[in-house]
Amino acid sequence: MVTIDIETDDGQREILRRMMLIRAFDNEAGDRFADGEIPGFVHLYIGEEAVGVGACSALEPDDYITSTHRGHGHCIAKGLETDKMMAELYGKREGYCNGKGGSMHIADVDAGMLGANGIVGAGPPLATGAALSAAQKGEDRVALAFFGDGAVAQGQVHEAINLASTWGLPAIFLVENNKFGEGTPVEKQHNLENLSETAEAYDIPGFTVNGMDVTAVYEAVEAARERAVNGDGPTFIEADTYRYRGHFEGDHQPYRDDDDIEAWQRRCPIDAFANRLVDAGVLTEDEVDELRAAAEAEIEDAAAFAENATDPDPSEAYEDMYDVSVPELSTYAGGSLRADGGSTTDQ
Amino acid sequence: MADSGRSDPVVGVIVNPAAGRDIRRLTGGASVSDNYAKRRTAACVLAGLSLAREPVRAIVMPDASNLGQRIVDDAEDEAVSLLDMPVSGSAEDTRRAAEAFSSIADCVVVLGGDGTNRDVATGIGETPVVSVSTGTNNVVPTPMDGTVAGGAAGLVAAGAVDRSAVTYQHGTITAEIHGSAGSETVSGLATMGLLDRPFVGTRAVLDVSSFVCGVVSRASPAEIGISGVAGGLETHAPDSAGGIAMEFGDGGQTIRAMTVPGIVESVSIARWSRLAPGDPYTVEIDRGVVTADGEREYEVADASVSFIIADDGPRLVDVDAAFGAAAERGLFIDSS
Repeated sequence: MVTIDIETDDGQREILRRMMLIRAFDNEAGDRFADGEIPGFVHLYIGEEAVGVGACSALEPDDYITSTHRGHGHCIAKGLETDKMMAELYGKREGYCNGKGGSMHIADVDAGMLGANGIVGAGPPLATGAALSAAQKGEDRVALAFFGDGAVAQGQVHEAINLASTWGLPAIFLVENNKFGEGTPVEKQHNLENLSETAEAYDIPGFTVNGMDVTAVYEAVEAARERAVNGDGPTFIEADTYRYRGHFEGDHQPYRDDDDIEAWQRRCPIDAFANRLVDAGVLTEDEVDELRAAAEAEIEDAAAFAENATDPDPSEAYEDMYDVSVPELSTYAGGSLRADGGSTTDQ
Repeated sequence: MADSGRSDPVVGVIVNPAAGRDIRRLTGGASVSDNYAKRRTAACVLAGLSLAREPVRAIVMPDASNLGQRIVDDAEDEAVSLLDMPVSGSAEDTRRAAEAFSSIADCVVVLGGDGTNRDVATGIGETPVVSVSTGTNNVVPTPMDGTVAGGAAGLVAAGAVDRSAVTYQHGTITAEIHGSAGSETVSGLATMGLLDRPFVGTRAVLDVSSFVCGVVSRASPAEIGISGVAGGLETHAPDSAGGIAMEFGDGGQTIRAMTVPGIVESVSIARWSRLAPGDPYTVEIDRGVVTADGEREYEVADASVSFIIADDGPRLVDVDAAFGAAAERGLFIDSS
């Protein structure tokens, strides 16, 4: 069963709600970052909501995803809880990684979310590995990698897709072509207009969909998932989308014009889908407003939760880092290097 | 028709950078058409123009991905230039170029699929079109080498053959929609229909079983899609008046047809009839999608949809006829 059935009225409402939740989360995260409340960096997903929600809704709950530095939307689309996410952004103990990861490292393996990632193009190799494990265990699950247009030119992405296609693994490679790799326009990074043409090099299907239309992304991923679980191998999907905010919050964006941003804002994936549901009689305009208000209220609660959450103790700084015992870590016990610099261990 | 001050005949070139990249690469057996292949085909088109012997200028549509600009750059020929027009990065570019070419070009070569040709049809007027398939669901355009397309276009543009004798006028279909979201008109060329699906989604029509009805301006069992289904009932030439309307469902005939590239299946047609030009075929639907030429175009709810066929489509070049007419005139024989 897909995570959310887009054929039903309830499913359509839930898909809209999740997109609104992402928009509200990232608006709040941007504001709180500007206020100096959130440490590190935040990269906002505003404008790209249809890609994450369309893709994760069409996956099954047990499927894996890998994410990017712009991962809040993927997390919410995969069903992660917004209060624990916001606590992670705040660096609080109640966060998904006990506050040690922050915005670019939210992960919830139980939910199939194998991690946001600060390294461009680092997600696809993880997805290939997750798909390999599913194939070897004979599990009926797939791994979908979200990555950006900049990542398409990364060597490790090529390695990941090459192995997945050579071994026929149940993987889906989903490029979010938001037109810029940081500040560099896509046409200055790639000799291809359609990044989906990359697929031909691996002898797998590749196609481009309208990433501002959640129904298009949903249908594409649903079809790619079916191919993957049938043992036919991976699929390369390019979602044509746009980020409304800078690469990071604080980016002055000298590389693009306001006119371009406004043109894409007129194609807002949330407004577009809401209008279609109103036209189809699934929701009234008042109900759309209520859904949006409820999403914003949930995020305000999440932010309040994060503000009031607890700071991790410095003594915990080196916990949770390794799954196995690493004796050298005791060198740093208590949060600082021991005066003698030597090992204290109980070897 | 060439613009003032220049007497050389003009061939317009429209290359759709987006054609041939949809989901049917996964769900069906549709072939791949990458932009490198399109550039090579366009280069062949330009080379083919010289078959006309007299100088022919070529003007290429610009596009957001600079495919047109690359074609011009690669040509390294002063007779090849880029059309001066604003670029939107959408199908609007094709419509705008077609409108410009309707007044400045003597013939147009289109590289795309049925969707591209539908956009060309909106503004091309009486300018003859050589339509080369680089799209997916191709009923209107024909797969052919670019050199052949360019050769035919050059002969037609230069007036080396009788235009009316080597072209035919394709039909069109219009859907007039009156629904809960207001009224709208959607246009098609070869096929239109209504799908029992809620969303446009990836646009491609993937499953013929979800058709409620279909209307075609041409029908042949050799075609892919619902014009092929209709062709199993009765053939109807692209330039014949009117077309065929079909209601999908049980209780009538079952037709074996090629519904999507790579897929052959049986389709149930509850009833069908010939549709005369101008006569509306009207269907009521709770929620569905209007399709045009193999693509899902427009979502409707609580709607009444009337399909009307007209004989006012683009004038397409019959490439074989053009070469035949030129040969009859001895145009290919070099004087000695």
